[in-house]
Amino acid sequence: MSELEQRVRALRDEIAWPTTPALEPVLHERRRGHRARRALVVALAALALLAAGVLTFSPDARSAFLEVFGIRGATVVRVDELPRVDPVELDLGSRTDRATAEQAAGFELVDLTGAGEPAAILLRGQTVSFVYGSVEDARIVFTQGRGTLWDGFVKKVGATGTRVETTEVDGEPALFVTGDEHFVMFVDANGSVTDERTALAGTVLLWNRGPLLLRLEGDLTREQALELARSVE
Amino acid sequence: MNGCRVSRPPSEDELLGRACSGDGAAFAALVREHQEIAFRTAFLITRNAADAEDALQTGVTKAWLALPRFSRGRPVRPWLLAIVANEARNRRRAEGRRDALALRQAGERTIVDTTPSPERVALASEASTELLAALERLGDDDRLVLSCRFLLDLGEEETARALGVRRGTVKSRTSRALDRLRRELEESHV
Repeated sequence: MSELEQRVRALRDEIAWPTTPALEPVLHERRRGHRARRALVVALAALALLAAGVLTFSPDARSAFLEVFGIRGATVVRVDELPRVDPVELDLGSRTDRATAEQAAGFELVDLTGAGEPAAILLRGQTVSFVYGSVEDARIVFTQGRGTLWDGFVKKVGATGTRVETTEVDGEPALFVTGDEHFVMFVDANGSVTDERTALAGTVLLWNRGPLLLRLEGDLTREQALELARSVE
Repeated sequence: MNGCRVSRPPSEDELLGRACSGDGAAFAALVREHQEIAFRTAFLITRNAADAEDALQTGVTKAWLALPRFSRGRPVRPWLLAIVANEARNRRRAEGRRDALALRQAGERTIVDTTPSPERVALASEASTELLAALERLGDDDRLVLSCRFLLDLGEEETARALGVRRGTVKSRTSRALDRLRRELEESHV
């Protein structure tokens, strides 16, 4: 190695490298310029396209991703402006009975005992939603499905409007999201990243229970949501 | 006789096997080993810490998704670096803020000489500053190849994958870049 090569190599330890970011969920706010957010929009949209082929938004959607949070199995993405979605994509599936839903989902359904009996059980793919109130005027939606591990490389990249708090349900990590409508990105049972718009505007509590990713939507305070979540059996 | 069980950290191949089976924690452990060099590679390409972080984040996510297609037995680092560097190249902007490389403050640097005189410290610092400035004046291709090879200590193959060029290109580009750097230094003394 020449002297010059050695000198350049010696510089390595003298350079003030920017701090390597942690890939665990980062829960501090980081304001970003529009261009950076725009780049992230395209990157994540492209990623979802590549990974899932199932999209509720397109790469040229005029939304700007402001936040990405993660817990095991889920990432919540908050946007400036919700991409247009076909109404059918908001559909929680077909009405069915518990036995059929359980068979199709491939796991034993858990109950939100604090909310009583659901008015309807809806099935979409291997995801089951319990609707409380009525299908036409849902007050609470409790959704359960399998989620694969997704810890270690998700983050929050900005913040406006809606708020995301980390919390716990029975010792498992959870996210409580308040504000406008949201998107939920998750890794489904096939290992594909997919995403969907939450059914209700208001609050969303996301948490893991064993291999399941559970989602509770409604107009609930954090305490109410956590109390209901703890009633899951 | 009672055996003595010695625990050892899982090997890369073991972690890879577990990660391929969907174990996110194993994948996170694999990534943690290489995330600093991956981030620095992305930073050298984007010259913007926020863009480098995005590149790392998205690259790692893509790596996770691509894991089923990864051939076992191959080293993870070059593969991960290639994915993150590709993300970084996608974020490199023609305009906008580009952070220059800077030296750490003198007090933060490792000093080999335990009793350096103030003059020696000043001279060494001046030489490093001059060298870094010369490196920064090089064109992107030259600067990147030298940075990958010497500042990150990547091998030729890893550098080739990170920069998206052939190994032979890395060889020739390194040689030419060193010549240009040498000339830059000479001219700065004229």
